[in-house]
Amino acid sequence: MEVDLQAVCRVFEDVLNGSMLREQADRWAYAVVQEEETGVVTYSPPFEREHIWAGVMYLYGINTMKAPNEYLHSNDDIREAMMAILCGGDDKLTGDDSASLRAAVATRITVLV
Amino acid sequence: MDVDDFRLSIDTASSEVGRRSDAATEGSAFAAAVVPLRKIPPTYTNQRLSPDRLRQIDRVFFGPFFREKYGMGGDKALENGRIRYYGPVQPANSARELAGRRYVHEFNTVTGCTRGWHETLDRMGNVRQIRPERRDRTVRHYQFDSNGRYKGSW
Repeated sequence: MEVDLQAVCRVFEDVLNGSMLREQADRWAYAVVQEEETGVVTYSPPFEREHIWAGVMYLYGINTMKAPNEYLHSNDDIREAMMAILCGGDDKLTGDDSASLRAAVATRITVLV
Repeated sequence: MDVDDFRLSIDTASSEVGRRSDAATEGSAFAAAVVPLRKIPPTYTNQRLSPDRLRQIDRVFFGPFFREKYGMGGDKALENGRIRYYGPVQPANSARELAGRRYVHEFNTVTGCTRGWHETLDRMGNVRQIRPERRDRTVRHYQFDSNGRYKGSW
């Protein structure tokens, strides 16, 4: 299984624009976690592995509820997390490729706001 | 003594053997070098490890694998040979008394089995809700009050 930054970004987007249920996003992330346990997940680009994994781990459990039929996280929470996970971080180790990739993700998030 | 001290003591003992004047042959020196290894405290299958010892072992063997993936928020060795790795708390800004959630991954060093669940924490840091990953894939939330008493589930 290969997981890329764009795919994670797309799941966040789909949750925020309502085209994907949070339950589906949670199960998608769970499937990645299960695959990771067997060690057959590759990350693309490899230098974004930490951000991709952080995104997956946020999506895993995104449908947690605080009360029946009431999600714990608001859409604002999710949007902020998406920005912090996929656009934040330290560029000094990964260089220009990483910076430009995150800039592209940031642009997509801005469109969502 | 931690694991690094323990390694250092072995290296020191081994290097001292090499300098002994009565080490007549290379073979006997090699045999002597093995002797210090017998001083390693044995671990029996029915021996319960202390949390501190378990944490030391985790730092060397299991931790680098699990901590990187699941333990960004810390880890804790338990009395029963299990280690819990805590993910970062994902904030929930509009949930009033609830601060957010985190994923917890537990590794049983005796059986090698793992399991995981999501915890919802209040702003005092108490676990108020858990959502285990169930085998039948149904989602169920178990609630607790601020004193840790079970309230019910849905």
